[in-house]
Amino acid sequence: MKQLIDRVDARLDAWGEALKGREFRFPSDLTAGIVFALAGIVMLLALPGQVTVTGGDVVDGRAFPTLLMGVMLAGCAALIGKELVKLARKQPIAWKTVNLLVEVKALVILAILLVTYLLCKYTGLFVIGAVFCALGFLVFFRCRKWSYYAITLALAAGIWCAFRFGLGVRF
Amino acid sequence: MKKRILSISLVLAMMTALLAGCGSKSATWKVTCPWAPSGVAAMVSQKAAAKSADYSKDITLVAEAIKGDAATVNTWVMDTKANDTELVFVGEGLLSITSILDPAKLQFGYEDFAYVENLYSSVFVLSADAKLNIQSVADLEAYAQGGSEISVAVNGAVGSEAFLAAALFGSMGAGGKLKLTPYQSAAEAAQAVAKGETNFAVSHQSQILETFQQGGVTIVCAFDQDDIDAGPFAGVEGVGKHGYPFFRNRCFIMARAGTDADKVAALKDLYGKILADAEVAEWLQDTMLLEVDTMSQEDVEAHIENVQNIVNEYKDIVAG
Amino acid sequence: MLEFIGPASRLLFTLENILWINIGVFIGSVFAAIPGLTVILCVILFLPFTYQMTAIPGMMFLLGIYCAGGYGGSVSAILINTPGTPHAAATMLDGHPLSKQGRTKAALKIALYASTFGGMFSALMLLFLGPQVARVAAQLGTAEYFMVCLFGLTIIAGVSGRSMVKGIISACVGLLISCIGADPMTGYDRLTFGVGRLYLGLDLAVCLIGLFALVEILAKAELKPDALHLDAKKMEDSGVITKEEYKRMARPVLLSSLIGSLVGIIPGTGASEASWFSYNTAKNMSKHPEEFGHGSVEGIAAAESANNAVTGATLIPLLTLGIPGDGTVAIMLSALMINGLNPGLSLFTTDGDIMYAIMLGLILVNLFMLFQGKFLTRLFAKVVSIPQEILTPVIVIFCFAGAYSVNKNYFDVAVALVFAVAAWVLRKLDMPAVPILLGMVLGNMTETNFRRALLISNGSPAIFFSSVYCIIFLVLIVVAVGTIVRGKLNERKAAQAAGKEL
Repeated sequence: MKQLIDRVDARLDAWGEALKGREFRFPSDLTAGIVFALAGIVMLLALPGQVTVTGGDVVDGRAFPTLLMGVMLAGCAALIGKELVKLARKQPIAWKTVNLLVEVKALVILAILLVTYLLCKYTGLFVIGAVFCALGFLVFFRCRKWSYYAITLALAAGIWCAFRFGLGVRF
Repeated sequence: MKKRILSISLVLAMMTALLAGCGSKSATWKVTCPWAPSGVAAMVSQKAAAKSADYSKDITLVAEAIKGDAATVNTWVMDTKANDTELVFVGEGLLSITSILDPAKLQFGYEDFAYVENLYSSVFVLSADAKLNIQSVADLEAYAQGGSEISVAVNGAVGSEAFLAAALFGSMGAGGKLKLTPYQSAAEAAQAVAKGETNFAVSHQSQILETFQQGGVTIVCAFDQDDIDAGPFAGVEGVGKHGYPFFRNRCFIMARAGTDADKVAALKDLYGKILADAEVAEWLQDTMLLEVDTMSQEDVEAHIENVQNIVNEYKDIVAG
Repeated sequence: MLEFIGPASRLLFTLENILWINIGVFIGSVFAAIPGLTVILCVILFLPFTYQMTAIPGMMFLLGIYCAGGYGGSVSAILINTPGTPHAAATMLDGHPLSKQGRTKAALKIALYASTFGGMFSALMLLFLGPQVARVAAQLGTAEYFMVCLFGLTIIAGVSGRSMVKGIISACVGLLISCIGADPMTGYDRLTFGVGRLYLGLDLAVCLIGLFALVEILAKAELKPDALHLDAKKMEDSGVITKEEYKRMARPVLLSSLIGSLVGIIPGTGASEASWFSYNTAKNMSKHPEEFGHGSVEGIAAAESANNAVTGATLIPLLTLGIPGDGTVAIMLSALMINGLNPGLSLFTTDGDIMYAIMLGLILVNLFMLFQGKFLTRLFAKVVSIPQEILTPVIVIFCFAGAYSVNKNYFDVAVALVFAVAAWVLRKLDMPAVPILLGMVLGNMTETNFRRALLISNGSPAIFFSSVYCIIFLVLIVVAVGTIVRGKLNERKAAQAAGKEL
């Protein structure tokens, strides 16, 4: 068993090493401006279908969201404009470096969270998801202390018990 | 040591599983109120649940309030089946108003429920800014015939209060001058008239009581057939006797359709005993300013139809 | 008033009441410290217990939860950078950085002392000025509420971080999120995209779990393996607060208690708004604004004293006018009504002893919160020494359980997950998350009051200048904007000077 775990760890380390050095950069402010501008435009286009208005309103239900998207687009234009001016003047712009290993790890954590959610939802028993979550994170952190497994699993079951029987939350 | 911890954890997990198995008793009926936990229906439900143990050994009521109106009832209908020990409240708001104005919001119909009992009846009142000095329906009719705009504070844009106001002023021929100002709670709406933001407000009696006692408003009329006969608003005229449309606000306790008739009858019997309890009846009347008003299935259907007729007639005033 | 103090004291000082206060304080402190378990949820869950009690023990128990919940939310904000309740979000901005400096106990103590002061301040205000203040508050209408919201939005500048433009974009996102659900003025669904549950809108506590708690879990991906081990510096925390720090906190605590009390009196606003207003004011008035966001003791003290000062203030309109100041107090109203008490000024003459017992009880609640807090602080501080392998899944389980409990539905857990992913993307784009929260806090109130005010005035904007209160808020907004502009100019000058020096 120990050998198997060591082998898995070694393989993971190798993958980790391979990913560790892989980084890519992107202009963060420029990207943020473009992403939110696109989101704002999509939202403005979606508003008529998403907000029913009646003719008699002094200020209808679309006015506030439309105003917000207008302000957001203006903000995006300012952000993009500022960065473009900097580029034109050959001044340094804001860059963000993203490490591939970190992003892959974040995806693994997200997968643990998603599976926990799906287990809770489809089994109807929160405790099953809680136990999976505890095990998932202990394995993710490559924990080898068996006492930690016992403590975390007991806590997972205990939290469910407290909610289920103490607070009467049926799940 | 590690083995010991592991063993304790396993025992804990097993006990937990056992507890989960024996968590639900068949005689415990969960009563879901789909409105605010601080609202009138939730409070009466809690009171009834607290009393259930006094009147039945077989049935225990557990009150729960999950705010959400149609969404909560949709979920309830989806998650329950016949004979589940679950009850839910529905009122004319869902069965008569939303079903006409926004049917897509409802994933259920009256046929999805088995009627148990009506928890209470509430007679709404119309209050007016004290400066207007409107004391009676006659004064109100005179005011409505004048040229001024009629602004009414209501709880929610398309709730029972909005339709009561629309039906009253609409039938007086003043629907075109009516401006409904929606507030996010009944208490806020009741206060609006005292602040002078609106001329009138429609509310539960208990929600306007304090403002009335401080002299900020006058109580013009009650949305009922006859005058109010008891409590701090005794003598306030009912609009029904002047020929104006009205309905009472009611809260129907429903089981899932298909639930055995004997179970429904046992629940109806229990609620009947609770509502007949002297302490409960006194509390409903004196503190909550509500009425005990047990109803038959036919009464319920007639109530739903009456409100639907009012909604169909006056929906253009309310929803524009 | 004096004629009621004697009988009220006899009603209040019983073993039963003291016991219920302490149980309530303990439950409130622990409950609110868990992300997702808001004070309102706690009060809802424990409300049925009070139906078997008489009015005073029932209210004491609920007030214990309510006040201690005001403080409890700060615990997780300080310890794990996740506000336990929405109103502790402002505390997080400085509480967690101070904890990271190895001063967890000090941060928790500052939060406790400031909370107690704020709570006592508003309890005394309720006792001595309740009816008078309520009458003034009752004059505030829709237009004044809108001006309060507008003033609140000026806080965006203070929590935007490096770029105010980015802060404004984030705030717009938050304000837009608050539009999801049934339109408050027409009842029609807005921005629900066919998802039935969205008709209810998005619950602030659920979004908070995703934005701040679950994203911190995703951020574990950035942990180096050696970061899993205990930080020796954190274990050596003495918890000492220096005399200098006490001096620095005095003014923001006093001012924030006043702000919290004033905000609390206005129905519809609550602890979240109060803590942000106070945090921003403290930052603007501080001699060390640069420390805000990096572990400022003034920041923690301001936010915490304000959110607890709300507790007594929200009871003012409830007990004197029968209008609940916030959602939690609205639920407490039922504990009174179920006992046959319909709150209002008339109750001060018919049941004055009970009313004054409740008001005196609030002072007692704050005292017990301090005593219990001193003990609990030591216990809470130990959380930072729990290994990440254990703490991480435990936080996730609490978050999921908390999100589920809000509406007893897994839809909310899914919403929290979506917000976590969105917050992760925002981090990558260097977009601040706090303005989103601020937008969500103020959005619904801002829009509803704006639209309702114009409905009342038939579209005339003159309504926003129609009362002396509106003018006062307008002046405050102008002063706030002026301060922001001046601050930004100073920052730019400082940056230019630094550039020249380099």
